[in-house]
Amino acid sequence: LSSQLRKLASKLLQAVVRRTPGDSQCWGNAMLRELDFVETDWAALWWALGSAAAIFRHSIPREVAAWVGKQSGWLKQETLRSMARKATGLGTGVVISISVSMACIFGLTHVSPFLFPELHLAQMRWAQYMSVLWIPETIFVMAAVALWRRRRAMSVGILVSAITLMTHFMIYVSTHG
Amino acid sequence: MKRDLRLSPQTLMVLDTFLDAPRSWKYGYDISRNTGLRSGTLYPILMRLAERKLLETSWESSEPGVPPRHLYRLTSDGMKFAREHVVRTGKERIVRVALGGVKS
Repeated sequence: LSSQLRKLASKLLQAVVRRTPGDSQCWGNAMLRELDFVETDWAALWWALGSAAAIFRHSIPREVAAWVGKQSGWLKQETLRSMARKATGLGTGVVISISVSMACIFGLTHVSPFLFPELHLAQMRWAQYMSVLWIPETIFVMAAVALWRRRRAMSVGILVSAITLMTHFMIYVSTHG
Repeated sequence: MKRDLRLSPQTLMVLDTFLDAPRSWKYGYDISRNTGLRSGTLYPILMRLAERKLLETSWESSEPGVPPRHLYRLTSDGMKFAREHVVRTGKERIVRVALGGVKS
């Protein structure tokens, strides 16, 4: 029984040390080596159990800290990535809106005289409102609704542009009559 | 760093043991026998002292085929720290006796 106890103590501590990482393993080996000098078998078993507890107390907080550090680093990276994705989507939405507005204005000033030269649409106020405000705003709202689920950031960019254009138009009308 | 070291009666006992022969290396099991502390109490103290650079460790060079033993002794900072905290009034010795330490 005596030698069995010592063997058990030794095997137990060896198993713990084998599964312990880095610095804790060095301490574990130190404790394991001292086991050979413990006089009685029961004392050896207690030594092994105490050593295993000491190793766990040393290694577990380090493992947890390393894991948390890794996770927080990953989260940080994910947050940055997500922010970059959103900013790109928002910017794209604004660029698309500006392009649509420019295309509408270009259509009124350059395409309509070519297609309907006798109508002089570029000089008509309703046509100006239509091409500068109502057509782009309609396109913006439709695009924002269509993109809301799949490309939320881009949709928000388009809506921001729509609101800006509408606000600009209202200020212009109120100041210029 | 040294300030946040928890100076439990057990830590003071370990420091006191080192002060008995400040420059000599000691084995873990010998410290355990001198202080009466079990491995589960002794080694966390040694680890904390080593982390705070109060204790230096070394592997004993041994014959081929024989695994080396780990050795410990106080650093100069450790000695200063131990002398500050242990050799004051002998109060800690009373604590040690109360805890059932082996040495007087």
